[in-house]
Amino acid sequence: MAQRDYALIAPPLAHPAWRRWPGRIIALVLMIIVAAGFGGLLTEWQWQAVPALWQSAYLRQVIWFSIYQAAVSTALSLTLAIPVARALHRQSRFRGRGLLLRLTELSLVLPTIVAVFGLVAVYGRSGWFNALLETLGLPASWNLYGLQGILLAHVFFNAPLAARIMLQSMERIPANQWRLAAQLGLGSSAIWRALEWPALRRLLPGLAAFVFTLCFTSFAIVMTLGGGPKSTTVEVAIYQALRYEFDFSQAAVLAVVQLLICGSLWALASRQASAGSLMPGGTVSSDQWPRRDAMPAHRRDRLLLLVFTVFLLLPLVAVAVRGFPGLYGELTHTRLWTSLGRSLIVAVTAASLSIGFGLAILGASQSDTRSGRKWQSGFIEASGHLTLVVPALVLGTGLFVLLRPQLGNVSQGLALVTLINALMALPFVIQVLRGPFKAFDPRSLRLADQFNVRGWYRFRLLLLPLLKRPLLLGFAYAAGLSLGDFSVIALFGSPSSPTLPLLLYQQLSAYQLDDAAGTALVMLVLLFGIFFVLHRLGDGRSRYRQETPVPVRKQAHA
Amino acid sequence: MTIYTYPSFVSEWGPGPAIKTSFEARCDCTLEFIALDSSVAILHRLRLEGESTRADLVLGLDANIMAEARKTGLLAPHGIDTSALELPINWQDDIFVPYDWGYFAFVYDTEQLTNPPSSLEALIDAPDDLKIILQDPRTSTPGLGFLLWMRHVYGDQAPEKWQALQDNILTVSKGWSDAYFSLFMNGEAPMVLSYSTSPAYHMAVDNTDRYQAVAFEEGHYLQVEVAALVRTSQQPALARQFLEFMLTPAFQQEIPLKNVMYPAIDLGQQVPDVFDRLIDPPETLYFQPETVADHRKQWIDEWLNATTR
Repeated sequence: MAQRDYALIAPPLAHPAWRRWPGRIIALVLMIIVAAGFGGLLTEWQWQAVPALWQSAYLRQVIWFSIYQAAVSTALSLTLAIPVARALHRQSRFRGRGLLLRLTELSLVLPTIVAVFGLVAVYGRSGWFNALLETLGLPASWNLYGLQGILLAHVFFNAPLAARIMLQSMERIPANQWRLAAQLGLGSSAIWRALEWPALRRLLPGLAAFVFTLCFTSFAIVMTLGGGPKSTTVEVAIYQALRYEFDFSQAAVLAVVQLLICGSLWALASRQASAGSLMPGGTVSSDQWPRRDAMPAHRRDRLLLLVFTVFLLLPLVAVAVRGFPGLYGELTHTRLWTSLGRSLIVAVTAASLSIGFGLAILGASQSDTRSGRKWQSGFIEASGHLTLVVPALVLGTGLFVLLRPQLGNVSQGLALVTLINALMALPFVIQVLRGPFKAFDPRSLRLADQFNVRGWYRFRLLLLPLLKRPLLLGFAYAAGLSLGDFSVIALFGSPSSPTLPLLLYQQLSAYQLDDAAGTALVMLVLLFGIFFVLHRLGDGRSRYRQETPVPVRKQAHA
Repeated sequence: MTIYTYPSFVSEWGPGPAIKTSFEARCDCTLEFIALDSSVAILHRLRLEGESTRADLVLGLDANIMAEARKTGLLAPHGIDTSALELPINWQDDIFVPYDWGYFAFVYDTEQLTNPPSSLEALIDAPDDLKIILQDPRTSTPGLGFLLWMRHVYGDQAPEKWQALQDNILTVSKGWSDAYFSLFMNGEAPMVLSYSTSPAYHMAVDNTDRYQAVAFEEGHYLQVEVAALVRTSQQPALARQFLEFMLTPAFQQEIPLKNVMYPAIDLGQQVPDVFDRLIDPPETLYFQPETVADHRKQWIDEWLNATTR
């Protein structure tokens, strides 16, 4: 029947192929780009590098430490995230809720050097935290360096991310279940057993794999706060092999190790999650059902949320405090504005690309899943997540090896930076969009098919209202990620026309430390501004008041 | 004419812009700086590009990677008169022309530390609460410089000394920026591995004497920055002209406060006064580039073993 209707009136892009092919093509292109980048390195592959890896006690220790710190970081982040997400869900009227939600978004795109600067100012030896301990008369001084520093930083980055994703999954619990819980008079622990835990349990394997991957590939944090070679990660070894030894073969072997560890974890987690995607009901609760257990836990929740907000806010305040003196001088310089402009252009383009890729990939994978083509759907989804396990540095260097004679002027470099930034953000954009995509009510979709609401109309009328907020959020993440990028820009960018992060590094290496602190503050304000504005836009005319959150961050390599 | 260099050289505060203007005024040409990530990245890029490189000249290689750079076979003899050079060591090289130099040194915060250790030995023997910030020799130039410094002073004993130093190391960061900006400027440790010339910038531009370098009795390891012609250059004459220009006062006067290093020729009165107040190491420590190239990997492994044990 659908075919006949289609012949009668054809809305733009109504042919079913429009849902599948763009995504398939993009997935294929992404696979080719990543394979090319990787292949660029693999052309230098030498088998001797493999035994060299196992013979080196040091590299074995590096791999072990990467896994160990990532596992502990993940466990801590998730453990903290659960009560925070519950408290956030219970206290929908908590006054600082909006701010806290923005912070959870922001902390994930914070450039590492800026975040570390803030963390050190708060928790360092001469930081605020130790000063507080001293005034309280507590003799124990806390030491930031070593495993505890890495863990603190990783919790700072990942607990908000995890809490945000958990909150989202709790908000997906259908309203009628909350109503039922309220009618039955379920208390906090009963709600946890009956509603919250089942929702989280489906989420946890995937979420844990995701956080683990981020911590496993962490580089600058581990190097700066880890104390020394005792605590380095595989990424450092890759960086070292690429940048200092020109040992592409070793780098490729290490990248394969990383790919195997993170990739197999993902495969395992996504198998778990696909079983969990058979979620009851398709509708998203639009208005939150007031929870009966909100009142008793009122005080405890508020305290927890307050402490968590302070935990996230303090390092940012520290950046602001240190950056303020240099800010005025910075704002009067054209170099700041030109770098900012360049950064914005790259960020907006990268974000748009990323969103476009993400939509196409999800559309295609969903359509393939519906038609039972599991293999294709898996392939398409995997293409969007490749950059999580292939380090940006590997991808960049590999592409560079392949493109080398052609690359020259500034705009080509920036175009490549934009493309790689878009790819790096893609896994996160997909995470943001996937939930709402899955949440479309199949009955409405069938109805839409019957009325021949397809193609562009379908997207605009049916999907866009639901997707608007996640789209804006995904855009904010991708743009934020690109704004903070140090690694790819260092490879392809031209320092005579720097982006904002590059300007920061230039100022640092020229001892312009006050100016650098000012630039760091500008970056922070810009990120906050983007999230704030896009959030407002998303709030404005959204028909569904639905929290749709999620993730992002990437470690800077530079 | 295209020159590959590193970011701080061409940044607004670096010597690049002034040098571009004054060279273009005398050569009737256009100078294009392409700044790469770091000194190592210049070599890296050159290797990757091979003979298809656009560079006519590379500026900013560190003496420690000279041997590697020579091995690429992509650089050409300079053939210019280098007799004006004033370096702490005798410089004879047919390919590389130095344009500035400095010493690696520990910079300390006078407000935190009134009595800094006066030798490497004293630093190693210092009580555990004297903390220093180092950089990783695998990822940073000063980090590698300190590795060579230790090696030069202690030879085969270096691994033991590294172990003895462990308790004094607050942390080992990836690069100079993290160490200096995120940690040292936040007051995390009273001493950081940097350059002997770093205080000059604070004194001349920030107008503060707070940060000073400390002279070690054993001497200091030397850093020399060099430039070289690229063999495949389409503009060999122009590139050679630039190398000659590098050793003139017009170029060199931009070095002290903009690159924060010592000029490679005698500038006489043109050197800023604050340079008189910098430390003057009793001895200059320096390995021939070939020695570094032959042993770097082995020495780094030694360091890894000594510090992860």
